[in-house]
Amino acid sequence: MKHIHSAILLVSGFSLLALFTRCNKDIETPTYDAYPETSLDANAGTWKTYVVANGSAFAVPAPEDASSTAYQAELADLKAKMAAATAEQQNLARHWGANGVLRWHAIAREMAAQYNVPPNYNPDGTYPSPDPMNPTSYPRFPFANPPYASRAFALLAVAQYDALVTAWHHKFQYNRLAPYKNDATIRPLIPENDLPSYPSEDAVVAAASRELLKFLFPGEVAKINALAEEHKNSRLWAGANVQSDLDAGDSLGRIIATQVINYAKTDRMGMANNQAGFANQRADATARGITTQWHSLDIPVRAPMLPAYGNVKTWNLDQATLISLRPQAPPQPGTPDFETAINELRNMAKNRTREQFRIASYWADGVGSYTPPGHWNRKAAEYIHEKQLNEIRTARVMALMNTAIQDAGIACWDVKFYYLLPRPTEVDPNVTTCTGIPNFPAYTSGHSTFSAAAAEVLAYLFPDKAAEVQAMAKEAAESRIYGCIHYRFDSEIGLTHGKQIGAYGVLRGQSDGSQ
Amino acid sequence: MRQLYLLAALCAAFISGASAQSPTDALMMPKGVICILGQYTHSSWDEYWEGTNKRSNLNIGTYTNQNVMLMANYGITDKLNVLAGLPYIWTDSDSYFEGESGAQDFSAWLKYQALALESGFGTFKVQATGGVSIPVRDYVPDFLPFSIGIQSKTASLRAILNYTTKMGLYATVQAGHTWRSNTTLDRDSYLYNGQWYETDEVPVPNMIDATGRLGYINSKLQAEVFLDYFTGTDGDDIRYNDMPFPTNKMQATTAGVFAKYFIWKGLALHGSFGQVLSGRNVGQGTMYSGGVTYFFNLTKSE
Repeated sequence: MKHIHSAILLVSGFSLLALFTRCNKDIETPTYDAYPETSLDANAGTWKTYVVANGSAFAVPAPEDASSTAYQAELADLKAKMAAATAEQQNLARHWGANGVLRWHAIAREMAAQYNVPPNYNPDGTYPSPDPMNPTSYPRFPFANPPYASRAFALLAVAQYDALVTAWHHKFQYNRLAPYKNDATIRPLIPENDLPSYPSEDAVVAAASRELLKFLFPGEVAKINALAEEHKNSRLWAGANVQSDLDAGDSLGRIIATQVINYAKTDRMGMANNQAGFANQRADATARGITTQWHSLDIPVRAPMLPAYGNVKTWNLDQATLISLRPQAPPQPGTPDFETAINELRNMAKNRTREQFRIASYWADGVGSYTPPGHWNRKAAEYIHEKQLNEIRTARVMALMNTAIQDAGIACWDVKFYYLLPRPTEVDPNVTTCTGIPNFPAYTSGHSTFSAAAAEVLAYLFPDKAAEVQAMAKEAAESRIYGCIHYRFDSEIGLTHGKQIGAYGVLRGQSDGSQ
Repeated sequence: MRQLYLLAALCAAFISGASAQSPTDALMMPKGVICILGQYTHSSWDEYWEGTNKRSNLNIGTYTNQNVMLMANYGITDKLNVLAGLPYIWTDSDSYFEGESGAQDFSAWLKYQALALESGFGTFKVQATGGVSIPVRDYVPDFLPFSIGIQSKTASLRAILNYTTKMGLYATVQAGHTWRSNTTLDRDSYLYNGQWYETDEVPVPNMIDATGRLGYINSKLQAEVFLDYFTGTDGDDIRYNDMPFPTNKMQATTAGVFAKYFIWKGLALHGSFGQVLSGRNVGQGTMYSGGVTYFFNLTKSE
């Protein structure tokens, strides 16, 4: 009897286990569906561009007439391709149809995360440098740290935006109807719209994004090329463009991308890692009476991250304005204001709450992540999907926000290497941290500055989200205090500074012709 | 890398020696008898495997993991035992990173003796255990190697074969499979296998483990040597120069010794030493532990 009893107990226990093991381990991530165009923005071809002179600066050859033999042949070819599309290709058509601009930004975020690892030290205590001429050998190029990532996202967004403004100009110049408007037997897989189809906005975005990402992540050329081909082909499988729409879009996107890449080659990023100049920055600070200066806490000592990044070309304000906005000097170690700030961190290191730890982790966006700019890009993408913005308004949001974020990063790096304030742990090793200590000076907080600029622009673009994004920026700023890697004044002044920089992005948005 | 699992597995390996205390050994409490265990374990390493590449990291220095384990094992019948345990863990290193501490995951097991064949020479036993574990606190899961655990719920099944001669020489082999639930992080994005996920839910690899022991036992003394192995059934490697992550495929082979001595009635002291010989995505830990067990009959007064 007892044996049977035990056996039953055991069997029921094991059945429970069996149930448990059937638990689904698949990870679900948000998916987005294609949505109809909410506006045509027929005048978007006149919107203010960033790098190219204007939307009509580059010509696109006139398309064949809808009644032409050539176009009719293209329609026949399109129908054949649609009919031959596999289920997987049809899914890709819907995938890319749900806002191609954002799909490319998601790819850029993933690459930023993949490349965001600092090189390890050599056995002799030196550090190897990523080599753009040899991007796939260790350490891979680039090290996509927050300044690099913010610039990458801005350049990508600007190329997409300038390319789409130009595409819009030509779309309404030529007014070629979409294939399904010319042939009622074509039933597209994604929602129909009234946007002229030549040149294809998707091919323009695919080509501009492809060229920029190959420039920014030269070790990923094959993958990027394949994604761009997939994006363009998705328009055929979807029944949304004929081949000549795509070819014209690809040529145009490539031309605009070349302009943006030429801009990037002269934006002084190439000098941002000027370690020889760092000695001068130290000497300048000493001459200004700053005697307690930042040192790397990495073992072995690592050269600071991009000490001349503060000198990189800004988008929405000029360098003189940037310097005029530079915050005043932080409290220096030994002063009462400094002691108050570091005492808060000594206490935090011992008494951090679980909620404070959660916030520190949530906003850390450190090594192996898409960085704080990536975090804000993702947030912007959520709002864009929610508001169902069309491609060009999407590109405008991403360009306005990402140029403001990069400007904020440049301004912050200028401040960091002007004042060279040590991290709290350098001043007092008892300030232990729950997140990695970034390898550059404390004042002001990069997270705070990036986030305030992003929130300022998003609050302008999505007024109903203003309170939410401002609260998020404040939490991102405080997360660095909770992590014990920033003094409160780093975060608070960083927030104020970032908001000022972001305001220049808003000014641009208010006068770009999109109203 | 403060593998939580490494820790747990090593705990189990040590405890297993502690007679009748472990879901991985062959000893069982008779009906009505309870055994209580308290044990301290110290584990440290200054080298770890990043994937299969062994390295040190000056920015971590020496990593230390200490824990105190409380366990109980009760004989429901002579052939069916219930076990339960809860560790309290401290982590630390030479770095500026703050160590974590706290109670971790509560575990409970049922252990069933399916077969006991006795001959003139010795006894052959076949046993099975099934167990579950659940985090008891909202500890931080995503600060490895300093997190004390990864906030995964687990269920495990294992089989144990033991042969003990009349003279007291014994050999035990055991093997188990542990299913581990996905975990939820404080952040909502991460890299897994090179791919970027924008969610807070993270897959945690299941584990397989096996142990072999050779030893001697009599009414006062037990001594054994053991070899323990565990591996994730899938998962990725720690990225070069990055921190460990709950998705990592962990592997370790550990060799050790264990001894236990009864000092008074049901009261015994035990100690053990273990050394990780090879691994993947784990620290090359050196472990020692010491503890006390006490068993008594719950149903009869002494």
